[in-house]
Amino acid sequence: MTDDGRVREFVTAFEGLRAEVEKVIVGHREIINHVLIGMFAGGHVLLEGVPGLGKTLLVKTLSESLELSFSRIQFTPDLMPADIIGTNIIVEDAEARKHFQFQQGPLFAHIVLADEINRATPKTQSALLEGMQESSVTVGGVSRPLPAPFFVLATQNPIEMEGTYPLPEAQLDRFLLKLRVRYPAIEELNAIIDRTTQSRHVAVERVMSGAKVVAFRELIREVPVAAHVRDFASGVVMATHPQWADAPDLTRRFVRYGASPRGAQALILGAKVRALAEGRYNVSLDDLKALVAPALRHRVILNFEGEAEGIDVDTLLGQIVDTVQASTTHAREPFVR
Amino acid sequence: MTSNASLDRLIRRVSAQVRRRRIEHYAIRGLFWASLPAVALLVLKGGLGPFGVPAAAGVLVVGVLFGALWGALKRTTRADAARLADRAFGLEDRVATALEWGERADRTPLVDALVADASARVESLPARTIVRRIVPREARFLPVPVLIALTLTLAPALPLPSPRLPDLTPGGADEEKEQRTGGGLLEERSKPEARERLRPPAFEEREFQARSGASAASTAGDLSAVFKDTSLASQRPDFNSFLKRGDERLKMLEQVDRLPDLASDFTASQYKMVFRKSKALTGGTRPDQISPQKLKELLEEMERLGRKGGNWSGDVGEGMEALEGGQTDRAMEAMQKALDKMRAQEDAQRSGKGLRGGRDNERGGASRDRRGEGGGAGEGEDFGEGEGLMPGKGKSSSPKGEASRRLQATPYDVGVEGESRRGRKDGYDTNMTGRGGPMASRLHYLGVIGQYRKLMEDAITREAVPRDYHAQIKDYFQALDER
Repeated sequence: MTDDGRVREFVTAFEGLRAEVEKVIVGHREIINHVLIGMFAGGHVLLEGVPGLGKTLLVKTLSESLELSFSRIQFTPDLMPADIIGTNIIVEDAEARKHFQFQQGPLFAHIVLADEINRATPKTQSALLEGMQESSVTVGGVSRPLPAPFFVLATQNPIEMEGTYPLPEAQLDRFLLKLRVRYPAIEELNAIIDRTTQSRHVAVERVMSGAKVVAFRELIREVPVAAHVRDFASGVVMATHPQWADAPDLTRRFVRYGASPRGAQALILGAKVRALAEGRYNVSLDDLKALVAPALRHRVILNFEGEAEGIDVDTLLGQIVDTVQASTTHAREPFVR
Repeated sequence: MTSNASLDRLIRRVSAQVRRRRIEHYAIRGLFWASLPAVALLVLKGGLGPFGVPAAAGVLVVGVLFGALWGALKRTTRADAARLADRAFGLEDRVATALEWGERADRTPLVDALVADASARVESLPARTIVRRIVPREARFLPVPVLIALTLTLAPALPLPSPRLPDLTPGGADEEKEQRTGGGLLEERSKPEARERLRPPAFEEREFQARSGASAASTAGDLSAVFKDTSLASQRPDFNSFLKRGDERLKMLEQVDRLPDLASDFTASQYKMVFRKSKALTGGTRPDQISPQKLKELLEEMERLGRKGGNWSGDVGEGMEALEGGQTDRAMEAMQKALDKMRAQEDAQRSGKGLRGGRDNERGGASRDRRGEGGGAGEGEDFGEGEGLMPGKGKSSSPKGEASRRLQATPYDVGVEGESRRGRKDGYDTNMTGRGGPMASRLHYLGVIGQYRKLMEDAITREAVPRDYHAQIKDYFQALDER
């Protein structure tokens, strides 16, 4: 298949997958797109939103539309790491000999839904770290690879903080994107009511295999990025660091820690998927701008003043983008340079 | 190498547009900056003659051409042109990425598809101007110099100021007036008045009449009469007479022989002058090192001063010999001896003068005679080393003695000869009692006492007057100032 053909196939698959999800999920087009972008970029996605907005349903529908194994873990305070990863248990063979055998936990699936991840203790949350970063887990000194593609979709509730354990920065950094699920518009709400309160049954078809997902992940990485686009991504990430010499005043005032290099990787990878999903062979500045908030919002830690002032990280990032764009030489007309 | 003709064409087209805009941009800037010297040339049009306007036009043309050339010579990179095209045509960085990755060795298989896609899109683009015109800031101000230049071009040449200085002499003014025969009537009428106003002030000779109530001691022709004139308060202000009167009063004050010799007694002392120079001998980087050259110069000066009646010539000569022999220490000792004698002689002179009025000098001989009868040290008497003149006591074992003890010894230590009488002192004498009582002052008491007091305060501040003397001196002047 030619490159052009591969790209067309990806576009078709992407749109098909989105269409399947949209059979169940009303609205949230951007959220669905970003979930798919996270999946094809090879990362994990954290969905944040109040209860009842369809986060879990979205992930479940996505898993149903893919020919992939799916497991759901409901995180609770008494959940232990072994409950997720798995453990060695004593089994008896046919000859009545007993030996240890590894019993896989729910993490051993292609798509893992970590529902209400912030309800588990940090110890259990940390059990996900190795799996999310290395796509493998180590139990009893033995490293065991997770199935490919491995994709964690976690949800958390931002308002019900009683009895929760906010994710540490190291854990947050493992998520490629953090998506904020907002309330639907009134038309979408009407559609939700109509769709869920009638006896109509919606059948979701499996439109993509795991192998295709892995192949598309390889294709994604071939998308070229121009130097000035890459510079823009670096500039935005660096501008989130208050210690940077050219950091904007907003960053110096309200930010305690800026985005890590994983943030820049997430930006570029997400932008590549977005470009390819739109049938483009290259990453544009608009791709980057669209991905700045989901890729960096959980990587920018506000300081006390920022928290006290009620600074919205998305707004802050938007202003950082504007500042970086205005300060780059590419923004100026070339003939007056 | 993945190159595409359509992409290259697009880049060339955009570059040409950029160049054209640059030429416009910089030509306008050049026109503005050239218009400034052009205006200057048009202002000087009268001096330049027929070349003024062409020169100004030439400067404008040169400015425009230079700006246009500058804009044409600036380079536009392919990446810049590609980004400009991407932005203008909404190509989402396709052209820039295709150009950049098409030339790279590590290009991915997708790059070929990208170049093909970008080329196809570029070929379908309409041929329109995408580089917008950016008007330089100077263009906003351009109408101002241009309008000025047009006005100056159409207007007659401005008169230039003549390099010749104006003739302010009366004859010259008359000639100038004669030359300006074409002037209007109003101008002719106003000129004489103006000239009269500008006439330099002529000092009037005025008779200063003695004020009624003046004492008999006030005689005609006496310079002190100027202090008695109070006509300024009653007459209308006359600046010329005021100047003249002030000038004469200053002259009066300059006649130091008629004033108490405060300045010469305490500030213009030869001894102090020489003493300061002797202190300056030990200057330089090493304070303990004395400059023989400076010492020689000082000794020569002391010798010169000694010729006017000093008694230290012998010591100076001794010091000169020692200095020639290379004995600096002996020369310093001799200089110190001569300095002591100089101080003693000045003390002797001061004790006979004190704060007496100017006329005391005239009767100084009699006073000296009286002191001489009393056995005091006379002027010009040589004192030995360690000896000095104790006022009112003659020779002393110490040069000056302790101030407090001397004050207790005699109330006339500083030469206060009179005692101020109590009551208002509005006459022309000093109302003195005691020895100075019979002596009638020829100065206006109230006119000079303030000046004397100021001199006294300056002297106390500037000179090394012992602290014990301060109160006595101030009390003295306080008593004089009582009204």
